[in-house]
Amino acid sequence: MQDGLLSLASVSKSYWRGAHELRVLTDVSMEMSPGEFVAVWGKRGAGKTTLLKITAGLETPDTGTVRFAGQDLAGMSESAHARLMREQVGWVRRAGPRSDLSMLDYVALPLLVEHGQRRARSRAYDALARVGMSECAGQRWDSLSDGERALTGIAHGVVRRPRLLLVDDPTANLGVREREDVNELLRSLTGEEGLAVLMTVPGMPAAMGTDEIKVLSGGRLLAQPREPAPQTNVIEFPSWERSA
Amino acid sequence: MSAKHAVLGLVIERPGYGYQLAQRLEERFGASGFAPSGVYSALDQLARDDLVRSAGEMGAGPARRAAPRTIYEATPEGVDHFEHWMLASSPTPPLRDDLHMKISLCRPRNVPRLIDMVYGQELACLGRLRDLNRLAEEDRAGGSREWSILMRVLARDAEVAFWNARIEWLQSARELLEQLRDETDRSSVGRPAGRLRAC
Repeated sequence: MQDGLLSLASVSKSYWRGAHELRVLTDVSMEMSPGEFVAVWGKRGAGKTTLLKITAGLETPDTGTVRFAGQDLAGMSESAHARLMREQVGWVRRAGPRSDLSMLDYVALPLLVEHGQRRARSRAYDALARVGMSECAGQRWDSLSDGERALTGIAHGVVRRPRLLLVDDPTANLGVREREDVNELLRSLTGEEGLAVLMTVPGMPAAMGTDEIKVLSGGRLLAQPREPAPQTNVIEFPSWERSA
Repeated sequence: MSAKHAVLGLVIERPGYGYQLAQRLEERFGASGFAPSGVYSALDQLARDDLVRSAGEMGAGPARRAAPRTIYEATPEGVDHFEHWMLASSPTPPLRDDLHMKISLCRPRNVPRLIDMVYGQELACLGRLRDLNRLAEEDRAGGSREWSILMRVLARDAEVAFWNARIEWLQSARELLEQLRDETDRSSVGRPAGRLRAC
């Protein structure tokens, strides 16, 4: 694969509630290249967030493989895996910090240990400026609008300059203008910096403007038409026939 | 909504000849099912009613032998007529869906075929959403901060939301039909199919 950044091959995942298996993902395969902007839509509980977690290495698939830049995540040591995820994959969540951090320090957090406060803050300010939020550097999360939170969350996700950004429902609760702002920002990040963005969306309008729309349906990605079933079924259902 | 008002609105936005207007109609209201030929009959009717008029002709170019094409523009009466239509109340459309009726009237032997039909419609919805996404790309090239662009985004959202709701409903329908198929398969093997009475 020449340009492949992310590859999921036949990934399946179940959760167990006692003896009951809850199948969340079934045989999911997809590829992403650098600079690609992909939206994943599905109903609530369709497995969108699980897909992101598996991609981010926060969950392990039961079967199937996840490759990042050609490397099979399952074959990596724990420390190498953690480093890869920390350095090359950014994650944008809707929830912000619970503490009283300024947005500058919140965005600087992922860099703090490695770079020290001064350099981390400098890069955090650049990231905030990149998303048009430098004026909110001194503000607290609680004081921001939903749109400002979405943009600040993206700054937090890209401050380490990852190669892949995972974004979980960034435009939930946003109006049309704010949603377009967020998508335009993500689009510009992919265009200018070669960042690949995998984004789950709460509704299809939020997927407009991406390079590719994928649909999760019953834990599977909606794909090519299947072999059509015969017009009639050999099984007969006498009781229903009578009640119909 | 009639093609007449759609065509009149497009002519008011920007004068054009029939083929151009048919293309713009398809871009803006592709899912509405207007036939391209409907543009010409709508233009004829609008012209008869003095709501549009010729604004000149566009030559077919030296390399072509086709007849010159009439460029249509709106008359003042046409603009007034459109404004009146714009401000009048819109009726709530009826929901008459072939698939709804098939599902509600289906026989058990039809279920596997219906599952495939539903799946096929899910793919068709996704195809239409991808078409709309391509149009969104063209809008984006025009600059997303202008009000006219935002209004187009909003109008597009209406269609996107329709297909979104449709695909969501289709998923629910397919899940239920698959459960029904599996349950009836089990019933037919292990015991009488009495549980199907609930359907």
